[in-house]
Amino acid sequence: MRPILSLALLVAAPALALAQASGGQSVPAPGAETSVPPPPAQSQPKPEAPEPPSSRPEPIAPQEAPEPEAEAPAPQGTEQQQAPVLAEPTPPEPATPEDAPVLAAEAPRTTDAQQQRLVHGAPLYNPNVSVHIVQKKRFADEGKHEFAFFPATVQVNGKYTNHAGSALQYIYHLHENFAFQASGQYNWYSNESDFNLELIDKVREQAQAASSLLLVWGAQAGVEVTPLYGKFAFLNDSLAQFSVVLSGGAGVGATRHLIRPEVTNEAEGGERFTVPARFGDTGTKFLGSVGGGFRLQFGESYALRMEVRDLIYTARVDKVDGCNLADFEALEAARAANQDFSTLALSGSCNYQKFDGVDPKTKKNYREDIILGRDLVAEPSSDVLNNISFYAGFSILF
Amino acid sequence: MNARTLSVIASLAISLAAPVAAAQEDEQVLDNVVVRNRLFEPGGQLELSLGVGLPVQTHLTAHYFLNAGVAYNLFDTFAIEARAGYAASRHTGLARSISESFLNREDKQITDELEDLWEMNVHGVAGVRWAPIYGKLSLVSDLPAHFQAYVWAGGGLGSFQRNSVIQCTRVVDRELGICDDRSAPDDRGSANENYWAKETRVAPVVSAAVGFRFFVLGKHGVRLELRDWVFRDAYRVNLRREDWEAGRESGEPASSPGFTHLVQFDLGYTFSF
Repeated sequence: MRPILSLALLVAAPALALAQASGGQSVPAPGAETSVPPPPAQSQPKPEAPEPPSSRPEPIAPQEAPEPEAEAPAPQGTEQQQAPVLAEPTPPEPATPEDAPVLAAEAPRTTDAQQQRLVHGAPLYNPNVSVHIVQKKRFADEGKHEFAFFPATVQVNGKYTNHAGSALQYIYHLHENFAFQASGQYNWYSNESDFNLELIDKVREQAQAASSLLLVWGAQAGVEVTPLYGKFAFLNDSLAQFSVVLSGGAGVGATRHLIRPEVTNEAEGGERFTVPARFGDTGTKFLGSVGGGFRLQFGESYALRMEVRDLIYTARVDKVDGCNLADFEALEAARAANQDFSTLALSGSCNYQKFDGVDPKTKKNYREDIILGRDLVAEPSSDVLNNISFYAGFSILF
Repeated sequence: MNARTLSVIASLAISLAAPVAAAQEDEQVLDNVVVRNRLFEPGGQLELSLGVGLPVQTHLTAHYFLNAGVAYNLFDTFAIEARAGYAASRHTGLARSISESFLNREDKQITDELEDLWEMNVHGVAGVRWAPIYGKLSLVSDLPAHFQAYVWAGGGLGSFQRNSVIQCTRVVDRELGICDDRSAPDDRGSANENYWAKETRVAPVVSAAVGFRFFVLGKHGVRLELRDWVFRDAYRVNLRREDWEAGRESGEPASSPGFTHLVQFDLGYTFSF
């Protein structure tokens, strides 16, 4: 009796395991996406079921597996019928499955056993089919944390301004397609564009102060969704999984404005110094962002990100370095009278020290910049700026 | 536990492990097959395309492209293509504003022409398209989209015109910034002719693009691309107001004018034979 029991176990075990493997529900399936084809339709009779071939090979199946009937409605347990097909590379059921590819009828029919072999219910060895091609996600995001570092963020719509910087982003993937994100960005280069400087030089025109406001840093929080994902092959060799990511957020950002571009200062004695460009603090502004891009995943834990984000910030320039128009008028009058600025009745936020004194290195008299600061706030301007930048970076998931 | 029981357990374990390994192999097959079995193989096919291009960014000029192209796919990943078309162009509002205000800025007697003012109109280019990436995108459940990602590079010729925003050869009203024959001062549209300095030329143009082609229903396709048209700029420097306002040629060509880039977002349709 024991040998019979052992033999029965040996036969039954693989059949059960294969039924699980091809049944779909128990396949290790990371992510919310289905990792296997959807179950067949509920007992819908096929309008035109193909005639079974006259010489159909007998399927190798356990005795308890029901014999499929081409004329009958598709049974619930289609997976169980496919189970032995996975085990044996012999030709499978010729009966058309419920999820048969639509284009298969147009393509030349194949009789090759390997091309007819089903993988997870789909004839994936058949080059003429397109079913169930991207449902399987190799890497799941749900519940994962992700740190992204963007070494380079470059403004691509720089009409009056140019920005370049770096950014950090943290993402918590609450669900497979939805995540919370927080990010910070620092622009290590922010200046007016060559186009704006050309207008100043050639036609004495320039953008309004609010239109050429520069973003120094920004911090924001928001959400990220990944509505689409796909797979691609590079030159038929390398396979990669990618997601389309869309993000949005809100936060704050620090701004500044160019007061004076780089100039050459000629000191007493004819010595010439290059005076670097000077910027004035224009305060912290509300910041919002929308963006989209691709996340290309390599393995479980690494991904490349390429995104385009539009940083939208409100811009109103009525103070520079905390000084308003009245402050600048008072400073200018005091400069003309060679008066000490500390005796002036200025607004509390006015950082007048920035417009006083002489730079020991370049011999530049900062008082000469007062008139430039006043010009910026003489006509208070406001705008909503769109700073569209390209972000390239990588991320680590854990 | 005797030896016979151990052998039964071992056999059972092996029997259970085998299908799991087979399932893992199948998953690997699934991943490999999902994109290598290409439903669309354009190799050897002739292809016609139509497209419209919108400017990504405008400074002084704006261009709206209409292109037609014919391509032959030498391989699935490589094609040669010729495109021709017309770009409707105009000055932006900023350019018009500059031109009107500069008429009255007599404190600036000597200046240079502005860069990047050439407008491209008729053009034709030939190039190569390399599409090393073939992918499938899950739009919604069970609705895959097949696409190719490609880069494009080529060159050709274009006809160009340049309308100055600085050199008005016949000032009609300096304060109002009028340099044309408009019938009503505040109605720019009533003008039949303007007196801004004009130039035309035919010059080489280089174009490069990156984009996606989505296959739709076998022979049809939708193309999305970012395209840059590059051509050499040319403008004059050291212009004298008294000369240009008298209708005389002024200044000299810039020694290193650089290149103008027209970056477009193209939306196109392709049909494969």
